Amino acid sequence: MKEVKLFLGPQHPGMHGNYSVHMYVDGDIIKKARPTPGFLHRGFEKLMERRLWMGNLALIPRICVVEPDINEMVYAQGIETLANVEVPEKAHWIRMLILEMARLAIHIMGLGGIGGPTGMYTITYWAIAQRDLILDLFEEITGARVYHMYIVPGGVRKQLPVGILDKVSKLLDELDVKIPEYKELALKHPIIHKRIKDNIMLPADVVWELGVTGIGMRSAIGKEYDLRKVQPYARYDQVEFDVPIANYSDGLTRMNTKYKEIFQSIRILRQVIEKMPKEGEVRTRVSTGSALRWTVPAGMVYSAIESSRGEYGYFIVSDGKEMPYRIAVRGASFPQGLLGIEKYLVGHRIDDASLWMDTMGVCSPEIDR
Amino acid sequence: MNERKSFFAPVKAWKYLLRRPVTILKKDIFENPREGSDMYRGFHQNDWDKCVGCGTCESICPTNAISMVEIASLEIEDGKKNERPGFDYGRCSFCALCVDICVSDSLKMSKEYLHLSKDAESFYFIPDINGIHNNKAKQGYVRDETSELLDLVRVKMEHEDVSRKNSFIEIVKGYSMEMALAESARCVECGICTDTCPAHMNIPEYIRSIYENDLKGAITHLYKTNPLSNVCGRICTHLCEGACSLAIRGEAISIRWLKRYIVDNTPMEDYEEAVLSFVTEPVNGKVGIVGSGPSGLSAAYYLRTLGYEVDVYEQRAIPGGVISYGGPEYRLPEASVQKDISMIEKTGVNFITNTKVGTDITLAQLEEKYDAVFLGIGFSLSRKLNIPGNDHGDVEYAIPFLAQTRDYLRDVSKMPDIHEKVVVIGGGNVAFDVARTLLRLQIEKYGKADVKMASLEHRDILPADLEELEEGEEEGIIGSFGYGPEEIVIKNNKIVGLKVNKVLSIFDEDNNFNPSYDKSDSHVIEATQVYISTGQMPEYDMITDEIKEKMEIVRGKIITAENGQIVNVPWLFAGGDIVRGPDIINGVANGHDSAVGIDKYLQSKKK
Amino acid sequence: MMNSMNNIIKQIDDVLTITNSEIITNRQFAIDINSGDVHQSLAYLKSIGFTQLSILTCIDLIANNEFQLIYILNNWELGLFVIVRTIIPRDNPAFVTIINIFPGAKYYEREVHEFFGVTFEGNDSYSKPLLLEIWDDIPPLRKDFDPQVYSDSKFPKRDLDKIYRSKIGGVD
Repeated sequence: MKEVKLFLGPQHPGMHGNYSVHMYVDGDIIKKARPTPGFLHRGFEKLMERRLWMGNLALIPRICVVEPDINEMVYAQGIETLANVEVPEKAHWIRMLILEMARLAIHIMGLGGIGGPTGMYTITYWAIAQRDLILDLFEEITGARVYHMYIVPGGVRKQLPVGILDKVSKLLDELDVKIPEYKELALKHPIIHKRIKDNIMLPADVVWELGVTGIGMRSAIGKEYDLRKVQPYARYDQVEFDVPIANYSDGLTRMNTKYKEIFQSIRILRQVIEKMPKEGEVRTRVSTGSALRWTVPAGMVYSAIESSRGEYGYFIVSDGKEMPYRIAVRGASFPQGLLGIEKYLVGHRIDDASLWMDTMGVCSPEIDR
Repeated sequence: MNERKSFFAPVKAWKYLLRRPVTILKKDIFENPREGSDMYRGFHQNDWDKCVGCGTCESICPTNAISMVEIASLEIEDGKKNERPGFDYGRCSFCALCVDICVSDSLKMSKEYLHLSKDAESFYFIPDINGIHNNKAKQGYVRDETSELLDLVRVKMEHEDVSRKNSFIEIVKGYSMEMALAESARCVECGICTDTCPAHMNIPEYIRSIYENDLKGAITHLYKTNPLSNVCGRICTHLCEGACSLAIRGEAISIRWLKRYIVDNTPMEDYEEAVLSFVTEPVNGKVGIVGSGPSGLSAAYYLRTLGYEVDVYEQRAIPGGVISYGGPEYRLPEASVQKDISMIEKTGVNFITNTKVGTDITLAQLEEKYDAVFLGIGFSLSRKLNIPGNDHGDVEYAIPFLAQTRDYLRDVSKMPDIHEKVVVIGGGNVAFDVARTLLRLQIEKYGKADVKMASLEHRDILPADLEELEEGEEEGIIGSFGYGPEEIVIKNNKIVGLKVNKVLSIFDEDNNFNPSYDKSDSHVIEATQVYISTGQMPEYDMITDEIKEKMEIVRGKIITAENGQIVNVPWLFAGGDIVRGPDIINGVANGHDSAVGIDKYLQSKKK
Repeated sequence: MMNSMNNIIKQIDDVLTITNSEIITNRQFAIDINSGDVHQSLAYLKSIGFTQLSILTCIDLIANNEFQLIYILNNWELGLFVIVRTIIPRDNPAFVTIINIFPGAKYYEREVHEFFGVTFEGNDSYSKPLLLEIWDDIPPLRKDFDPQVYSDSKFPKRDLDKIYRSKIGGVD
């Protein structure tokens, strides 16, 4: 047996973000895999300890490029718990609007992501273009396309612009038509079936061993373990939606689960538009004084929400001063992205490695932070 | 549950083959760029006329992208610095926190988002109202009530209710710790107040100390520039609050009450330790100080910190000048005055009271005895009012009356002889002090009060603070504001009232003091005693003609060099009212400057 | 929810030796345990439904010269988080791995070692570098590590004078 060492990433078309796996291969079978994170390590946790509670708002969305809003949400939610403030009703609904739109954007991009490793770039381009149309709406609501800095401790930063809900409705109608085409193009595609059906397995016992959450978990164990259901935050307890589940977690099942979640997000968004209070405040103060001197009462809290990749959380410690004492980030894909690769990428073929990373939802910036 | 594979399904995508692409043409990116949304966070625009250069944007910036740059072409005004924010767009994260916290509402963001350059250093800009490319880009993100990051409303100070008039109880209750913490948290540490304060007190620093609950540190900051913090924490003219950058859009920080909070709440040991930490053993020489008012006390304290032996001469029985004999007890309680004075005494300053320079000891003797002399004699005389009847025995003047009242409250003098019906002439703070003191004494003596006021100035332009007017009227003072005195009406050798005329204008066309009246609108204010409070003046009898010749005195004020030195009499320094006019904080500042000036002068003489 | 949480806390208290418990929200509580009881406690919590290790991290309590290790477990069935806290000394911080209970802790422990310097006996890879490359200073998430000082010593300062000569309002 002769082993060859191959680097997948950090610069590789099949790799999402700057991440690297050192693979020791025999033929085209991976014999050993060493995840090598750190290319995107920017010291967020240290930086957050040295920024104002409000100043961190500019920093935290940058932990995850494609889904920045979850960072803002867990941060805001954690601070609200520590400061014991009640967010205005309307702000809850706006937050759900933002979070579900973000979920749509990343799920669509995730569907498109399958195009890279399988060579089917059409769907990638579709997804990127579709995401940009969602970002247009984000730009109108928040003033920025990618790093929104919109969900702030105490509520949201601004009132919704006039007429935006109609535009969201229109987008949802478009998606209703457009998304099924992704299914036709990708999820029924014989080549994609060939590549990910009955391949890249994530059995239930591995889920528990690694601590995988999100779609990977729900596709494997057949239970509705979604924090939106299990520990409803914002107003998720006041909207109806299903959590797609399965009992057989191969790559294709996970893609299908993701596909179904898109429609659940659309369903939630329609209810949000309908049920959102028309009037009302959208922000309360979490502290007195100017933002330079906002403090959060001493204490610690673990604030978690359901991201597109699973349980995403901040463990926030305050010592009552103007800056956080410690914030630890639980990247949703930390378990599968490190231990998962080390243990379960082994045995797959080289060309499956990219698919493995893609369908497992490994997100390098949240692992590195 | 997975979709079955289908060979034909993907073919459906071919229908897009002939449709218009959603992408933008490359040439349109530059020639016809897509416009950002109405809230777009693009490059900044900064209205330089509104911007005060406070640097709050620099403080909040999470990426250190903003730095304040001095613009030489801009003038420095009260409440404005000549700095404007510069942005390093290599660092800027376009979070717009700077826009949300902008105190002056000058900083906005535009819809402009394109800047291309090969030179990495060319990304640094100091935007003005036309943005960074001078192209008047459309306005994008602006602050609104929801995104506001400042706290514009001050923590309300509680006052004693109107029953306060039955005694000399202090009116302003003072902040509790909770209130002070909340108020101190509003400060943005711009330091514009420091520039405006005559004594250049380290205001942001001591407010930060309050915020950090480090009162000892706060005292240290106070005493760096002001040894009369108890007094100034109560009756300072608080120019700082007028300049506070928060006042542009909201209410200024209660700087004065925060100062009071510090001095009232610091444990005595900490207080003393902080104050005395500056003081050294005398090594440098001896300085004599004439007058123990604010400027004299301030000079004495700072001379002690510079290592001088200090003797202070005071004509009255206790030191303090205006703070011991002027300000009314309900604003300036005896205990706080004495706290300031005793602190200064503890530094080793020697007070020589009941000694009037000029009669008990001459200035020449002082010159002999000391290396330098500081004059802080203040405006100790009331200005006479030239109207018929002013020589009547029941015409009283503000300064002796207030002094006697303080002595009466100290139980060392009898109550001033006050009548049941009185009228006060004057519209300044001192006039209100007199009127409200009279009111309290009347209630004590007669069980009821009848105090009226007359002033040239209409109520809208009264020189006194608004709170004096409001509180005074609440207590029952009736004012004829905008009515000038014509004569004191005397019948049977007794005062029966004050005749006043409506004032048409106070100054003539050349802006000289020359009131004109509408004599058809006049009335007599009924009173049997008249109090005159129309200004104070200095008493320069102690200064011999020989010295006086070398000095320049303009409108009663002595002209000095910046450090208080009298140019042709180098051993003599002056400060306070006699240099700057009556104002306590100016006196404190003068005292400090003179102490430094004396030190410099004496050190240079040694060489 | 509050009731069932109180019941669980009581149940835990009966079995384990907790020095303190704190209710944080109606779906989250924290328990403090002695470092010697951590393994037993985690094993027990796992057995009653807290089957997922959400995060393992550390707090530098420099004022007390201590580290606080944090284990956050998730009970998906009840929708409950428990924060298990324990104190270890800050000088030569050493602890024992929990990978036999939660295998997923392997990389968390590696991270805690890298950023705080805590060693984990039994985890054979805890000392390998993870996110940092050729690190040559004290573990960077310790409170006494100052990133500004570090970066000033490693990288050249930008020449600000040169930058300040830039444009005002877009005009040179």
